[in-house]
Amino acid sequence: MSVARLLPLIVAVPMFGAALLVGAGRRLPRHAAEVLGCVFSGGAAALALGALAATSGAAPRPAEWVGGWRPRHGAGVGIVLVGDPVGLGLAALVSVLVLASLAYAWRYFDEPPPRHAGSYPGLVLLFQAGMCGFALTGDLFNAFVFFELMGVVAYALTGYRVEEARPVQGALIFALVNSLGGYAALLGIGLLYARTGELGLAQIGARLDAHPGGPDPLLVAAFTLVAAGLLVKAAAVPFHFWLADAHAVAPTPVCMLLSGVMVELGLYGTARVYWTVFAGPGGIPGAAVHRALLVLGVLTALLGAVMCWLQRHLKRLLAYSTVAHTGVFLVGLATLGPRGTGGVVLYVLGHAGVKAALFACTGVLLDRYGSVDEHQLHGRARELPWVGGLFAVGGLALAGLPPFGTALGKAVVEEAAGGWATALCVAVSAATGGAVLRAAARVFLGLGARHPADAPAPGEEGGEETTGKDEEPETRGGLLSRIPDTMQVVPAVLLAGALAVGLLPGLRAAAGRAAAAFTDHRGYTASVLHGVPAPPAAGEPPDWSAAGILWGLLATALAVALALAAVRRPVPREAARWTVPLRRLHSGHAGDYVAWFLAGVTVLAALVL
Amino acid sequence: MSRRVRAWVLVLGGLGFAALFAAACAGLPHFGGDLHPYGDRAVRAALLRHTANAVASVNFDQRAFDTLGEESILFGAVLGTVVLLRQTRDENRRPPAPAPVAAPVRRYARLALPVTLLIGLYIVAHGQLSPGGGFQGGVVVATALHLLYIAVDYRALERIRPVGLYEVGDAAGEAAYLLVGTGALVAGAAFLANVLPYGTFNTLSSGGTVPVLNAAIGVEVACGVVVLLARFLDQAVEIEDPPADAPEGAAK
Repeated sequence: MSVARLLPLIVAVPMFGAALLVGAGRRLPRHAAEVLGCVFSGGAAALALGALAATSGAAPRPAEWVGGWRPRHGAGVGIVLVGDPVGLGLAALVSVLVLASLAYAWRYFDEPPPRHAGSYPGLVLLFQAGMCGFALTGDLFNAFVFFELMGVVAYALTGYRVEEARPVQGALIFALVNSLGGYAALLGIGLLYARTGELGLAQIGARLDAHPGGPDPLLVAAFTLVAAGLLVKAAAVPFHFWLADAHAVAPTPVCMLLSGVMVELGLYGTARVYWTVFAGPGGIPGAAVHRALLVLGVLTALLGAVMCWLQRHLKRLLAYSTVAHTGVFLVGLATLGPRGTGGVVLYVLGHAGVKAALFACTGVLLDRYGSVDEHQLHGRARELPWVGGLFAVGGLALAGLPPFGTALGKAVVEEAAGGWATALCVAVSAATGGAVLRAAARVFLGLGARHPADAPAPGEEGGEETTGKDEEPETRGGLLSRIPDTMQVVPAVLLAGALAVGLLPGLRAAAGRAAAAFTDHRGYTASVLHGVPAPPAAGEPPDWSAAGILWGLLATALAVALALAAVRRPVPREAARWTVPLRRLHSGHAGDYVAWFLAGVTVLAALVL
Repeated sequence: MSRRVRAWVLVLGGLGFAALFAAACAGLPHFGGDLHPYGDRAVRAALLRHTANAVASVNFDQRAFDTLGEESILFGAVLGTVVLLRQTRDENRRPPAPAPVAAPVRRYARLALPVTLLIGLYIVAHGQLSPGGGFQGGVVVATALHLLYIAVDYRALERIRPVGLYEVGDAAGEAAYLLVGTGALVAGAAFLANVLPYGTFNTLSSGGTVPVLNAAIGVEVACGVVVLLARFLDQAVEIEDPPADAPEGAAK
């Protein structure tokens, strides 16, 4: 059986696992449910990795028409799954990360609903199926369906701990903002369908290319709306507000997936739609898309980095660091070339490992001490040297310490985007890595002064600053007295993976090929619609450079210096005045977020015009 | 943000959005035109496969993979609801008391229940022939059962509605769709390929796998909606909030 034939199974296997877990849920002991969850997510991971290995040297895009509806003369009615290296690679990353998340939750996670042992692993498997389907599909409407599937499941997973009010609030905001994005994307898909009568990415692109010329308002609106919907998922400014609210309340294993790969899938979708649909002569001029992505990327990176530095709630801190890195990814994608895209591919791989590991370590703190507050935990985690070490290594990797994959990806993006991008990347890395290192120094080493007041100062609790005090642990039977081995091993393995991304030369070459195939508009159409195996022009694969290593070391040194400077200074009782407007902006008020969404669509359209 | 700032951002953003969409709509094809590239191709393909309802052919054959995703969205939504509306440790369950039902209401519901159930099953079974299908018929079937709640009371509904069984049905519908798809793969065709004989046009057995997938969806939707409503009704009728005087977070 060909590789293409097996592509639908990468989606179907976790779905079947979910059905089995729900169907047998009442009779299934907890242990069996967890084993089944791991078996099915691991099965999909094996399929995706196997397909990736089988296609690495050969024709870069196995395409499978589901139901055998292969188009004739470029016109068809069916849905195609495309196993190009970026899509397959993301499906593999999703599956591996889901496996890690299930292993992390192994046995420790608080009781699922009574007599529903299969619910939690079932939801996670559906989440995996949605993300894999989104990564593999070559059909715009089908992508929307999987976008919705991962959304619906993610809302439920975010609000999993219904005993408290905050998870419900966070999940509601998440659902509201992401649904708005979904509506916008659907409107855009409708416009494209009205113009071309097609739903497949390659088919829409081919129809648009048949009428070359400048974009008219319909095309601009279609691109803006579809991109806005996907950028909501990607948490680009000003669509990013849901992310920190959801991450702060979602169970830790779910945060690993949200930050590690779901957000990145939003970026993937944006770039995929641009390259397959709009990159041709009948699409949107590259300069306009470059401008739009670049402006949003820079704004996202800067705002995310500043907000990350200001947090004391560790999960929110990590969430804003994801926002900041999303901005850097956008800057890399905005280069609209294979080089920058290759850098982003490597960066995303490295970031997934590092960020998931950092969340995993934070989860240990939450379950051991019932708090994720940097000040409240001051010095308390001295007894956890292993977790502390992992957390600090994660901080260094986030700051871009060579030879981690994050450093490699960042170096390639810097090179592709030009001189000023280097400054941006160094600043973002130093701020986000520095914030993590600062927290590590306080929590695991007890460096620096304690917070002046244990009780929150007046105006602090009610208003601008979110502390991470008095959080409910997620474990069975309350606070952990001993950390389970799985919770300590999983972050170590994830960090090792991020290190391997930077070290394996084969992966760099593969990322280069993947990016070249990804950014090849004509080649995609030709191989999907006409079965032409179009090997993309071989470019130089992304690689380490002396400058990249030096900038990475500089960013790491800056991060360490920032962290040390921050812990040396006395902790101010109140937040600095200049931060108040920024904090007020991130109000948690759903109405604010809706207003910003509409404003964001307008700004995006103005940038594309 | 203050109300004022929020209102300004909302108004400006809304105006921009409206302008963008209005400009886009000016570029749409005119209403009532005769150019329908996808529609023409889809109808031709439906007739080739002996499926009288072209919409069913699109849903369960030509774009059956979309329907798999949509089915999974419902499946995930039901599962998510089961998780979110679970009885938490600080909530109590109280058996509902029987409530008097006005005689005309009771008579009407008794009459309507079997009719509605039959119509629902008809809509599912004829999905490949006439408008309707598993999604629509499944909802009608699930609604029919709930007429018992109106006609008698909640306990009567609970008697014909063992939620555990419907959860199994929900999962079985999802699994059946996947198994039909994988079966085609095992038979040497593509995933979800229509490998069964197409049958005689405009008869119940026509359309190959279309009626099978349609039935799987019908089972999933009917059972899923029953479970979904059961969770909401449980929450509204049976589950009590924790006593107000208990200290917050007493369940810790």
